[in-house]
Amino acid sequence: MTELVLQALYSGLLQGGSYALIALGLALVFGAMKVINLAHGELVLLSAYVAYSVESGLGWNPIFAIPIALVVVCLSSVMVYFVVGRIKKDREINSLILTYGIGVILTNLILLIWKADVRSTGSTWMQEAIVVGPFYSMRSEVLFFVVSLVMMGGLWWWLSRSWYGRAVRAVSSNRDAAKLMGIDPGYTELVSFVVAGILAAVAGVALFSYGVVSPAYGSVLTVKAFIITVLAGIGSIPGVLIGAVLLGVAEALTVTLASSALQELVGMGLFLLVLFVMPSGLFGAKGRRG
Amino acid sequence: MKPNKTIIVMLLAVYIAVPLAFGRDNYVMSLVVASMVIGGIALSWALLGNLGGMVSFGHAAFFGVGAYASAILSMKFGVPVLVSILLGGVGAVVASLAMLPVLRLRGPYFALAILAYAHIFRILATQWTSVTGGSGGLSNIPRLPEIFGYDLSSKTGGYLVILTIVLVFAAIYQYIRCSNYGLALRAMHESEDATRVVGVNSTLLKGLMLLVSAFMCGVVGAFNAHYINFLEPDYAFSGLWVTIPIVAAIFGGYRTITGPIVGAVVVYLVDQLVFKSIIPSGHQLVLGVLLVAMIIFSPDGLLSLLRKLTRRAHVAA
Repeated sequence: MTELVLQALYSGLLQGGSYALIALGLALVFGAMKVINLAHGELVLLSAYVAYSVESGLGWNPIFAIPIALVVVCLSSVMVYFVVGRIKKDREINSLILTYGIGVILTNLILLIWKADVRSTGSTWMQEAIVVGPFYSMRSEVLFFVVSLVMMGGLWWWLSRSWYGRAVRAVSSNRDAAKLMGIDPGYTELVSFVVAGILAAVAGVALFSYGVVSPAYGSVLTVKAFIITVLAGIGSIPGVLIGAVLLGVAEALTVTLASSALQELVGMGLFLLVLFVMPSGLFGAKGRRG
Repeated sequence: MKPNKTIIVMLLAVYIAVPLAFGRDNYVMSLVVASMVIGGIALSWALLGNLGGMVSFGHAAFFGVGAYASAILSMKFGVPVLVSILLGGVGAVVASLAMLPVLRLRGPYFALAILAYAHIFRILATQWTSVTGGSGGLSNIPRLPEIFGYDLSSKTGGYLVILTIVLVFAAIYQYIRCSNYGLALRAMHESEDATRVVGVNSTLLKGLMLLVSAFMCGVVGAFNAHYINFLEPDYAFSGLWVTIPIVAAIFGGYRTITGPIVGAVVVYLVDQLVFKSIIPSGHQLVLGVLLVAMIIFSPDGLLSLLRKLTRRAHVAA
């Protein structure tokens, strides 16, 4: 029993890596533009299906799908940006409905192109077992956990050291002041959508490499990303990683100890608990309460 | 709203002319009933959006809970169908009570949280097999009864019931909008902080709107369960119950009362008769495109777009 629990903790930890990438993308766009992109999960899913096509069509390892997925997802993300930018009034409400509509479009496009079947990788290289001490996992899980850690490190460096990253943070903390410092908010919004697209593309390939995907999975991913940002509180990369690992672990434990059908419920349970007990998130955030 | 001639003529038309014209054609009648079901959801969604200022992506939860509550009450406890439909609405209200903590969240957070809730109820309905029959679903749900010798379980009977439900809801909506609460809610739309300062409990009012909206949606779901006599989780909690009503409400203009209902009839019929025959699976794609286009070009509905266009033509002439 203890072994099973430890194993679940380990799998949950590895799963947390890609969850964190998805949540960071959602949070980044929200920070820069005050828009929740409800189609974010569908962008991740799009990348997963690109990986499927590359694997089944060209016979390549899914990891080589990353460059193609990057192009496809970043272009889609930029398109979302331009469409959202066309909203003239009541941006808060209308952007939600708009991105919801984009999510519906993407889900059905995926359904039309790739059909409703559940897809997963057939690559044996990805599925090979890797044993670390008492823990088992697939090679893809470890690989993408490391990749997501590296990407988070990169994101942290970008946000805190590079000019554009700092511009994005400046715009999210005070738009008018940032303008006065000569930052073009429109441009930083575009940049944040591109970076969110990069994160989503990698996360999507990761999901395909160690899990299963189906067209309806997109909105589930958006909800998960949202739960993580509520757990973590928007604003800190380590916070998001911890929130993501927490969700991953909780899900893995539920699957091990109860049933895989209840996997989604546990995330919601965590979410409600945090909402009641610590309304500003585990790592503090402001501006969320009404 | 004065009970003037137009309204009486309209009522006569929808109550008498529609059944007379299409009553013989079961296919057309079932499409009309389905479009009214969508209209009822769209109305309850628009009430929450317009009066409460909240965008809900979770109305499938209310619809499904209402449907299940009513079906189970009438099947296992022998509650008369017309009563259990109302109790289905109450069931949806109880479900919405679980969402009240979410009201502490603002704008986008509320929308996402309520999206998440819809998933929960679907999982519950699938897993709680002893009560809901699990993914196999419930069949032989009692039909709508006979009243004064008239069989409501026929297509035309179902039409009259759902029409009455939707019209009563529209009247309730209108009543709320004209009441003092409506005034406060409209003020909240302008500035929530300012409204609070003058002593309006804005969270309470928003909560009440959520309950009213949930009740309406639950009743519509309950009606639908008894009308089609069958329920399964993926159907009752389907995302379609969210997407089509939103498109309908936006299309017809979600800040009006008639807009969502008319929008639902138009959007649903066009979707079923035109889009579905062109793209059998994934015809929701067109709905998504429609939604995006409406938000960009005319977020207040098609009517205001037409008005804008005619004005422009007028100026040009």
